[in-house]
Amino acid sequence: MNIVEIFDFTSFNIDREPHIILNQDICKGCDVRGCTNCCPANCYSWSEAEQKMTFVYDGCLECGTCYVVCQRNAFTRWRYPRGGFGVAYRMT
Amino acid sequence: MNRNFQAIVVGAGPAGSASALSMARAGLDVALVERGTFPGEKNMFGGMLHRLPGLEEIFPDFWDRAPLERHIVKKGVSFLTGDSSFNTVIEPGSFDRTPYNGYTIFRPRFDNWLAQEAVNAGATLITSATVDELVYKSGRPDGVTIVGRQGELHAPVIVAADGVLSFLAKKAGLRQPVFDPGQIAVGVKALLDMPRELIDERFGLARDQGFANEFVGCTEGVRGGGFLYTNYDSLSIGLVFHLGSLRTSGKTPYDLLNEFLKQPQVAKLVRGGRILEYSAHLIPEGGYDMMPELTGDGILVTGDAAALCNATGLNLEGINLAVESGLLAGKAVAEVCRKGDFSKRSLEVYKELMNESHVMKDLKQYRKAPHMLHNDRIYSAYPELVCQIMEQIYRIEGTSKKNLTKLFIQSAKEKIGLGNLAADAFSAWRSL
Repeated sequence: MNIVEIFDFTSFNIDREPHIILNQDICKGCDVRGCTNCCPANCYSWSEAEQKMTFVYDGCLECGTCYVVCQRNAFTRWRYPRGGFGVAYRMT
Repeated sequence: MNRNFQAIVVGAGPAGSASALSMARAGLDVALVERGTFPGEKNMFGGMLHRLPGLEEIFPDFWDRAPLERHIVKKGVSFLTGDSSFNTVIEPGSFDRTPYNGYTIFRPRFDNWLAQEAVNAGATLITSATVDELVYKSGRPDGVTIVGRQGELHAPVIVAADGVLSFLAKKAGLRQPVFDPGQIAVGVKALLDMPRELIDERFGLARDQGFANEFVGCTEGVRGGGFLYTNYDSLSIGLVFHLGSLRTSGKTPYDLLNEFLKQPQVAKLVRGGRILEYSAHLIPEGGYDMMPELTGDGILVTGDAAALCNATGLNLEGINLAVESGLLAGKAVAEVCRKGDFSKRSLEVYKELMNESHVMKDLKQYRKAPHMLHNDRIYSAYPELVCQIMEQIYRIEGTSKKNLTKLFIQSAKEKIGLGNLAADAFSAWRSL
C-alpha cells in the first residue's frame, strides 16, 4: 500500500474550508514534530528549506492523532469537518 | 434547523444509538445527532464485537437482526520476529455454538442499523450535523449548535457520545484539557478483498466460522501490536501503536503496516488480498485512570468519550462497554426527566448505575494493565525470546541437547535479564 495513493482506497467528500489550521510560528519553534511521522494519512510535512509545516487536509482520516501528539497546541483551529464532509468509510 | 427536544445525544456510534434507543423506548422525545451523512460513516475498529447483554434484553433476537459477519470460533496469538513466528490458537467447541462469543462486523453497516433501531423506537436522527458548541442558559447546558446542517438544538440534558476526543466533555470541563499521548493509541487498518472459499481454506474455517488473531513483536519495537480478523469475504488487518512511543520512534504507521504485511509468515496469510479501504482511529487505552467525570450539570458522558475501553493485551473491549454505558445513560435520563431535575447531583444516578455494572467493575479490576503494557520488552525482546527458545527446542542436529531449564535461563538472561524477567512477571500477575 502506498500512502500517496490513499484516494484510491478511501473515499472523501472534501470541504472547501479546512477543518484544521496551524499556527506556523508555533510549528517553526517545534523540534519534535511528531505530527509528521504519526499522522496515519501523511497529511503533515515539514520543509527544512522553507522552515514551514504544510498540512494537507484533503486526505485527513479525522483520527485525532495530530491533536494528541502535538505538544505545543499549534492549532488555531482543530475541529471535525462540518456535517456531511470529510472521510466516508464504506465497509471497514 | 432549530428544535426543542427532551434530550440530545451527540454521536450516533454504539454508545449514542444505544442511549437514544433506551430513551425513545421510555417515551422521551430525543435527538440523535451525527456528523456523518449516515451513522457509521466515520467509524472504524479492529474487528470483533463481543456479547451485548443490555441490547439482547431489548431485542431477544438481537443476533439475528443485526448485520453481522462471521462468528469467531478461533482465537490466536502470534509472537513475531523479523522472520519467525510462534503461534498459539484456541478453538473451543463452545465458540461454535449459540450464543456465540463474538462476531466480526463492518461499522458503517452495524452502526447504521443500531441508529435505525433507535429511529424505529421514536428517536429523531439528524445526520450531516457536526456539533460545534454547547449552548448555555442560566449557567447550564441547554443545547448545542450544529454545523453542516445549520442550527441550534435545545434540550435540558445532553448525552456526550462524541467519541474519544470528546470536545463536549472538554467544553463542559469534564475531561482533561490536554491528552497524555501515553494513554492513547492509534489503530490503522487495511481491509483486504479475498474470496470466501479462500478464507475458509487458508484459516481452516467452515460455514460462517471466523478467526481472530492478535500479533505482538510486529511493530519494530514501537509499543503496540497487530490484529487480523476474518469477515465473510475480506480480511481486516492492521496495527495499533501507543502514540507516545510512536512519536519518539520517528516511524510512520503506514510504513510499519507495510513491513508487517511483508513479514514472511504474515505475507502468506494475506497473499492475493487486494486493498479495499484504509482507515485509522484513536483508542483510549488509559483505562480507569484516564476516565473523565461522567456527569455534569445537564450532561452525561458515554462510550469512548468516557474512555471506556479495556485493553489488557489479551482482550480488547470497547463497543460492548460503549453500548452498556449508553443504555445506562438512557435509563438515568429517563429517570431524571420524570423528576425534572437535571443538575449534576440528580444525574449522578448514571454513575451509580455504572458502578454497579460490569463496565466499571472490569475497568477497576484491570486498572493496572495499562501500566504493565508500558514496557518496551513486551514488544520485541519477549517475542524474540519465545521464538528463540522454541526454535532451539525443535532443532535437532546430531549434537547433545541442552537441558531445558538451562536453555530457558540462558536465553532469558541474554534477551531480557533475569531481574527484569522477575519484575515483569510480578507486574503481569498484579495487573491481570
